[in-house]
Amino acid sequence: MNELNIEPTQSTPSVAGRWEEGVLSLGGDSFPENSYEFFGGVIDWIERYLAGSDRPLRLDLRLMYMNTSSVKAMMDIFDMLEDAYRSGRAVAVRWYHDPHNERVADLAAEFREDCTFPFDIEQDHV
Amino acid sequence: MNAIDLFDLRDHFTRRRILLCFNGPISHGLIEELGNALRNYLTAEQVQPSAVMDVFGVYIELTQNIRHYSKARGYDESDSAVTVVVAREDDGRYAVQAGNLVERADGVQLLERIQQLAAMDKVELKAAYKEQLRKPREEGALSGAGLGLIDVARKSSQPLAATLSDLGGERVFFSVRAVI
Repeated sequence: MNELNIEPTQSTPSVAGRWEEGVLSLGGDSFPENSYEFFGGVIDWIERYLAGSDRPLRLDLRLMYMNTSSVKAMMDIFDMLEDAYRSGRAVAVRWYHDPHNERVADLAAEFREDCTFPFDIEQDHV
Repeated sequence: MNAIDLFDLRDHFTRRRILLCFNGPISHGLIEELGNALRNYLTAEQVQPSAVMDVFGVYIELTQNIRHYSKARGYDESDSAVTVVVAREDDGRYAVQAGNLVERADGVQLLERIQQLAAMDKVELKAAYKEQLRKPREEGALSGAGLGLIDVARKSSQPLAATLSDLGGERVFFSVRAVI
């Protein structure tokens, strides 16, 4: 299956991977006890997408609170995107955040420090 | 056996502005539920969304650290107990205190780690955080002295403080306090 759909829970974000569009969306809080288990499926989808075609990939993120093990898993994802970008692949991240919560923007900005691919941090208009 | 003076206990909670207090074995589901209650209390007290997230984040890291530690050490239910208190300070800041039983040697190591973190400024803490983030998962995982504590130190507005209480046995009670 090339589509990825995970419903959100109190401690895990929603995940939607749309293969044809080349877009992976994650939204919500992320503080599962076993982040590697949770993010394993997401990492697997990205790996398959990057290996299975040469089309662009965009991550649309509306992540909010993340515990440190989720941050670590997310860093692994951004490292994969960085490697793909350095080998000439079109990849991009858009991270939307609540304008009243600068902590989410801080978190996104800290991730961006280690990335050279296009990484936009935008206020969400909801 | 004497009855617990509930009014006295209530009075103590009120005077110390304790919003949340839990003592006992804790499941992931319970961490979530208490965390939700904590966020609701803080939001109702008109705390800024970013500060709500910081207090919540410290509570999550400290309680999840304890669960990981107790599991890794194979503790039974009673030795896996978590003691966690969230209270409002006189100056309006929030303090999160969490404690659990640990092996004596781990307790000494944790105390040293907290003292190191307490001596670091924000720039040093950020560098330590980024360095730890890049380390392989196994390193420093067992003592719980990994990324979680650095994250807690970064979210705190005062240096972290920790204590060890001797219970006469091989295991000691480790307690850490973060003020956000």
